[in-house]
This record gives sequence, structure tokens and C-alpha cells, in this order.
Amino acid sequence: MFDTSMTLSDVWFLAQGAWITILVTIISVFFGTILGIGFGVFRYQVGPWWGAPVTFFLDIFRSIPLLIQLVLVNAFLGIVLRLQISGFAVACGVLTFYTAAYCAEIVRGGIEAVPQTTRRAARSLGMTWFQDMRYIVAPLATRVALPSWIGLSLGVMKDSALVYVVQVTELLKSTQILITRLQEPLFLLIIGGLFYFIISFPIARLGGYLEKRWSND
Amino acid sequence: MKKTILLGSMLAASTFASVAQADMLDDIIASGTLRCAVVLDFPPMGMRDASNNPVGFDVDYCNDLAAALGVKAEIVETAFPERIPALMAGRVDVGVASTSDTLERAKTVGFSIPYYAFENAVVGNEKAAMTTWEDMKGKTVGATAGTYEAIWIEGKIKEWGVGEFRPYQTQADVFLALSQGQIDATVATVEVSEANVASGNFPGIMIVDKAPMVPDYVGLFTMRQEYGFINYLDLFVNQQVRTGRYAELYKKWVGEGVPADLTVNGVSR
Repeated sequence: MFDTSMTLSDVWFLAQGAWITILVTIISVFFGTILGIGFGVFRYQVGPWWGAPVTFFLDIFRSIPLLIQLVLVNAFLGIVLRLQISGFAVACGVLTFYTAAYCAEIVRGGIEAVPQTTRRAARSLGMTWFQDMRYIVAPLATRVALPSWIGLSLGVMKDSALVYVVQVTELLKSTQILITRLQEPLFLLIIGGLFYFIISFPIARLGGYLEKRWSND
Repeated sequence: MKKTILLGSMLAASTFASVAQADMLDDIIASGTLRCAVVLDFPPMGMRDASNNPVGFDVDYCNDLAAALGVKAEIVETAFPERIPALMAGRVDVGVASTSDTLERAKTVGFSIPYYAFENAVVGNEKAAMTTWEDMKGKTVGATAGTYEAIWIEGKIKEWGVGEFRPYQTQADVFLALSQGQIDATVATVEVSEANVASGNFPGIMIVDKAPMVPDYVGLFTMRQEYGFINYLDLFVNQQVRTGRYAELYKKWVGEGVPADLTVNGVSR
């Protein structure tokens, strides 16, 4: 098994794929979280009735498999709108909304976990809605939502493997390219898996660390 | 705005009586890049070299086409089932992807004249001393069970009334049996045969002759309404053959020997 024809340049090739995976993940998690917070707060604020259109919109992203979303959005932009958008941009766009859809739920859950009495007390002290959100709800809700958010980020990182359908050569696609050339599937999948582990392990540990630190006070 | 879709064209027709439209050929030249869909897990037509760069017959063909147009070539790797969707989604301009020009596909995309044809070869054990495909008569012949080649050779043996046919599970099994002398000959695509002979994994085998089966013709393809571009592709394929580049690429990627005749006797196109 250790008798491999994989060369250093192939490792470099995988590292380039890993970089694309990281880039797609960072971009989609960053914008997805911002959008998700917006959607989550909006849905909580306006209630289930007025929030229904947003809920429906987000449910589309949550209930259709990511692979189908990527193919359909890519086809829609290309065939119907005739836009020349790079596969990378399409991948980031779809993953951003995919992240936002899940993040909105996490944010809503986090806000709901803040006791109504605490919030009423804040408003009784003369805080505005924004001050209440900023100084009371945000810190408490973040503690509740953090583990799910870390889980979501790791999930998006792994789901980003599907963006190969829009011709983005990320980590898994790079691994597959090497498998086709070298015909050593098990060894290369172990190496590919190792790359994924190296990317996700620090994120998971950071989450564990923050959770521990914030739960003490 | 380069092309208008149905809705857009109706809108355009109703508001601006006529808008000058550039076609795909103009668009490609203007953009400076030709994007080709190429399958890269199909050696020797498309594969990757030691530094993972795309190489192969189709890759060179795309580069030649780009050079003819005076633009830069961009190889877009597509899997077999994604070739036509990639074109439809506007990710590529042309498919240089060993695509058989079936009538079913021609309902969706526009094909050029064939630029390559996959032929079958008779591969024999050196001890069997064959010189033409007809020498298979009376010999023990093997092939991968259920394939087009296997059905053809089994039919021939029935027709001759002498000889024996042995089916095998995989192509590798067939070549191993051939190398060991369990069978005298087999029929496989020229590309596979050349690769197996060149690999050195199967000593004592040689390519005898081409099998007289209908070749699998493959064409370049693009949007079916782009007549200007399809016309250009046809002429380009013609020029590749005329200038000897076709034979040159065949020698470079497939092997010694004469590349397949791209014309069909008795009909024009």
C-alpha cells in the first residue's frame, strides 16, 4: 500500500484542491451566516404568518439536495439568463444560500432560547429593541447557537465536495483526478480524507474551546 | 447581449424592430477563448500527464481548433454524461469529447462531420501466425462477454462453422488468456489493443489487422442552431485530415498504423 507512484507534485495538486475547498467554505459560511442572521431575526420578529414567504424560500434550499440545486442554478444562469458566470461564483452563491437556510433556523432557535423575562427586563430598563438585541440577546443566543453553527460550518465544508458538478476542482475532485491517473483509489482516498481532517479538526477544536470558555461565566 | 432567448426575442421584436446579432463564431473570436468540453478519463483521447495537466488526442484537437480561430484554448473537464449539459448551460463552446454522432443526440446538439472513428482490431498471439482478420477462421477466439465485438466474432464463427468462441469476464482476462496462448486471437478497439501491446504486460501478442466492423464515428458538437460555427468545424476537420495533422495526432496518441477513414462509402456529407 505504501508502494505508491504518487509524487510530491501530486500532493501539491491536492493541496491546491484543498485550498479551493477552504475558499468556497469560508466565502459561503461568511456570507451565509450574515444572511442567516438577517433571515433568522426577521422570521422571529415578524412571526410565523408574515415570515411564511421567507420560510418557504429557505425551505427550498433546505429540502432540495445540494447537487440538484447546483445543477439547476448553473443551468438557469447559463441557459435562461445567458450569463457568463464562473463555476466558482455559482458554487459560492448556492452554498451561501444553503448555509443561510440552515443558519436562519439556528439563529431563530438561539433567540428563542433567551428567556422572555430577561428580555422584558432589558426593555423595562429603557433599552431600545436594538440595544436589547445587541447586549442581551446576542451574547446569550450565541452561546446556545455556537455548537450547531460549528456543526453547520463543518457540514458545509464537506458538502462543498459537490461543487465539482459546476466544474470547480476542489479537494474531492482533485482526489478523483489522481485516482483516474494513478489507479490507487484506497490510498488516495485516505490521503484525501486526511486533508479534510486537517481542515476540519481545528474548526471543531475551536468550537469545543469556545463552548467551554463561555459556559464558565 | 449576444443571443436572445424566446422571451427576450419576442420582447426585442416588439420594441426594437431589429437588433444586429453576432453568432457564436464571432463571440468566440471576440472573447479570445475557446472553451472545449473534454473527457479526461478516457485515454488516449483525454487523460492527465504526470503533473496532472490535460493531455491526449482530444486535448490537442481542441488546441488546434483554438489556434485556427486565433484564440486561447480552455479545457473544461466534463464526465461523459455531462458533455451535452455543459454545452447547454453555456459552460463550453464546443465538445471535443469523442462523442458518437447518434441521431438521438443530434436532436439536441449540432454535430460536425466525424473527426475520429473508433475501429476494432484483431489481436493475435504471435505463435498463431495470422496476417489478416480472416485468418481467425478455425482458430480459438475470445472476447469480453456481451460486448459488440464479442457478438460480432461469435456470429462470424457460426458463419464459418469452424473454430471456437470463448467469452471472458473482463478485457484484462481476455488479454491474459491471449498472452498465455489459451486463445489464438481476440477483437478489441484499436486504442485498447495498442495500449495493451505497448504496456508490455501481455508478452507475445501482436495487432494483426483491423476488424471489418462499422466504426464508431465521433464528431465535434456545439449548439445546433449555430450553423456558422458548425460550418467552421466541418471545414476544420477536413483541414486536419488534409494537412496530415489527423495522422500525426493518431501516431502521437494511438500508435503506428493508419488512422480510420472518416468517410463512408456511397454517401456524402
